[in-house]
Amino acid sequence: MSTTRRRFLKAATAGGAVAGVAGFSALSHVLAPILSGPGDGLTAFSPPQADEIDETTHILNRLTFGPRPGDHAGMLKLGRKAWLDRQLDPESIDDGWAEARTRHFEALNVWPLGELLEYNARELLDQMTRAKILRAVHSRRQLQEVMVDFWTDHFNIDPSKGDSKWLKPADDKTVIRAHAFGKFRDLVKASALSPSMLWYLDGRVNRRATEKEKPNENYARELLELHTLGVDGGYTQQDVMEVARCLTGWTVRARENTRFAVGKVSFRADLHDDGPKTLLGVTIPAGLGEGDLDQVLDIVCQHPATAQYLAGKLCRRFIADTPPASAVTNVAQAFTDSSGDIRHTLRTLFDSPEFLTARGGKVKRPFHFVISTLRATAARTDAGPALQDYLLRMGHAPFQYPTPDGYPEDAQPWMATLLWRWKFALEFADRSLKGTQFDPLRLQHSAGGETGLAAHLLGRSPAAAETTALAASGQPVALLLASPAFQSF
Amino acid sequence: MSLTTFINDQQDPAGTLVVVFLRGGADGLNMVVPHGDDGYYRARPGIGIRRENLLELDGFFGLNPHLSALHPWWQEGQLSIVHCAGSEDETRSHFEAQDFMEHGGLAAGGWLGRFLRVRPDAGHSPLTAVAIGPQLPECLRGAPSCAAIQSLDDFGLGDRVPDGFLPQLAALYKTAPGVLGPAGQSALAALERISALTKTNYSPAHQAAYRKDDFSSGLQQVARLIKGRVGLQAATLDLGGWDSHITQSVIMDPPMERLSHGLNAFATDLGPEELARTNIVVLTEFGRRVAENSALGTDHGRGSVLFLLGGALAGSKKVHASWPDLTHSPLVGPGDLPVNHNYRDILAPVLTRQSKGVDLSKVFPGHLLQPLGLAS
Repeated sequence: MSTTRRRFLKAATAGGAVAGVAGFSALSHVLAPILSGPGDGLTAFSPPQADEIDETTHILNRLTFGPRPGDHAGMLKLGRKAWLDRQLDPESIDDGWAEARTRHFEALNVWPLGELLEYNARELLDQMTRAKILRAVHSRRQLQEVMVDFWTDHFNIDPSKGDSKWLKPADDKTVIRAHAFGKFRDLVKASALSPSMLWYLDGRVNRRATEKEKPNENYARELLELHTLGVDGGYTQQDVMEVARCLTGWTVRARENTRFAVGKVSFRADLHDDGPKTLLGVTIPAGLGEGDLDQVLDIVCQHPATAQYLAGKLCRRFIADTPPASAVTNVAQAFTDSSGDIRHTLRTLFDSPEFLTARGGKVKRPFHFVISTLRATAARTDAGPALQDYLLRMGHAPFQYPTPDGYPEDAQPWMATLLWRWKFALEFADRSLKGTQFDPLRLQHSAGGETGLAAHLLGRSPAAAETTALAASGQPVALLLASPAFQSF
Repeated sequence: MSLTTFINDQQDPAGTLVVVFLRGGADGLNMVVPHGDDGYYRARPGIGIRRENLLELDGFFGLNPHLSALHPWWQEGQLSIVHCAGSEDETRSHFEAQDFMEHGGLAAGGWLGRFLRVRPDAGHSPLTAVAIGPQLPECLRGAPSCAAIQSLDDFGLGDRVPDGFLPQLAALYKTAPGVLGPAGQSALAALERISALTKTNYSPAHQAAYRKDDFSSGLQQVARLIKGRVGLQAATLDLGGWDSHITQSVIMDPPMERLSHGLNAFATDLGPEELARTNIVVLTEFGRRVAENSALGTDHGRGSVLFLLGGALAGSKKVHASWPDLTHSPLVGPGDLPVNHNYRDILAPVLTRQSKGVDLSKVFPGHLLQPLGLAS
């Protein structure tokens, strides 16, 4: 994209928050006619018909951000196995429509990294957030979006710290997205050397130039506690300190020090502690220099605790907040057998009887609730301030979780968000949510009437009590979206 | 006590417990500085706060100038400070240490949730406990009812709700499985209670001046609820930004300003009578390493400070600490301030003041309480 365009964005944002948003909205408005088009249209479709959530709805619920009109019939036609094969191989799915909706967020594709620093940081966060929302709503590579969401929490970065605010878009692209279905060790290594992560967890200032200097343990601890072994993974304070020693010397060029090659990651041998180390009982000999990083990654990624910890997290995301031990054991085994191949591990999980039978028992996190509303209703959104504000109030705005553990997965911490969900449901159904629209009459017509629409939104035929409540509510679409059934998946 | 009694009783004898959690591991050593200990200055040649810049507390400790708004409360005996405070958790992990402190050891639910449940004088409403912020903190887990709110003003559903909507919503949540059922009931009840409060405008009393930051606004909402007599027994607020691994003063000075100005405005706004019925506790998951690191910051440590404000507690104007001489006493772990006062022993008398007959062994199971005497 030309410098002129970037100057325009900078000029638009230079005047402060309000001007920034106004400038960008104006731009989106100009582009809107180009972006609207076929591919999202509403035609007649068959909603689910069973009294309980069937297998097709279950898979759509868990592996996507919620079924769109026609998704249920589509998977039935394609077959579960073929559908899953395609989702696990996202490149095989043409995603032109979603790409068209996100292509104009040019900042997300800027290279080299230093160029990102020309942007207003607030503008960057807005572009990242809009792109994430629009991809979640429109991408046909849904499992990829779900896994990107999962890894974004697992390797959480709050970009508000230091240069991270300019570097996180690159982390999203070259760490999280690039390795979402790859080898886990590659993902951890990419994250360890991600400029944004080096800022967020202080890796860039972890150094030992003299005997007296103490390494910074921040990244080392989270690598063991959150990224690999898990807090019960059997490591000690001594192991944390040894990892910190191994990683001394890796740093990233800061904006305040240079105008050249900002964000470039390098290894400074003079700041590295090159003595021998012992990590989890394994000796790392002296003199390996930057090779210490690979030693650390081999030791922690091959450790049985890592397989167990990751399997536990995946099973909590896809099966239940308290998953059966048998499922965790099998998924951990698949992780180990495949040397940490994420795609293979997921396939094992999705083929397991524990997964296939655990229907409807999880509670959607707020982002999932909002996106599933937009998907189910074939809504169009600018992913702008009104929508983002709801995510903020529900405590689930993308890229804004402050601590490295990422947004919680289990239901309990989100239980106080119900009021906001109800408010969102009412405002959305009333078509008064700014920047987001849908066509309730056409939706109901396409679903084959009131009962069809209820079955589509609930993922099953409505129960008698639900039908009664909908009729008496005065706002049936809002009641469906606010209902306990729509909070579950 | 019935719900109605609780709301209508002008004296509302229970009072309110306000818990402020400084998330990220606040460095007690640079907040309440042991200027009488040379070891402090030797360990922190770059980031130590010089004595002439401190506000004197008791001849040995001085208050960081960025906390100066709290100093008058100390001089009045309304503020108590315990140093070398913390939990027995030794992981030095934010999440483990916060989790441990909020749960109150290896027990189901959070300590505040359990307190609200087991206190014999409890009346339960959706406004029994309020968490200011987007999420409920772990310490409130297991509470009979609680709601996370950010502002009272935009709490309602708006005025375009069809008449039939809420009754039907209530009917659906009444039979909802799992956690959704009770959560729905709490949310519905909270809606009704709040709508009454938001119909009036609020102006702080006693010339209290709240600043514009989230922490101060949150405290102002709490003051409004306390004065509104809606049966608020506990409120929690988070104040983050303390994880000072690098360039410590750049990181810590702003949250210290927010903390001291926020609490000063809040205590002023409440006035002497309300403040006497309100216990404010400020705690953090752990303190930081005694020695500064290469980046002029400090890494995760153990003991830190704990502040108590209000609650008709006549403070002794001495910082409570079994102080280890930083030069000669062995520090713990990689060089950390020890935890000489378990936070539960400090909270115990506070909880007893809130609810006289409460069985503290149910609030803090598995911990042999040795309540700390703080009064002069």
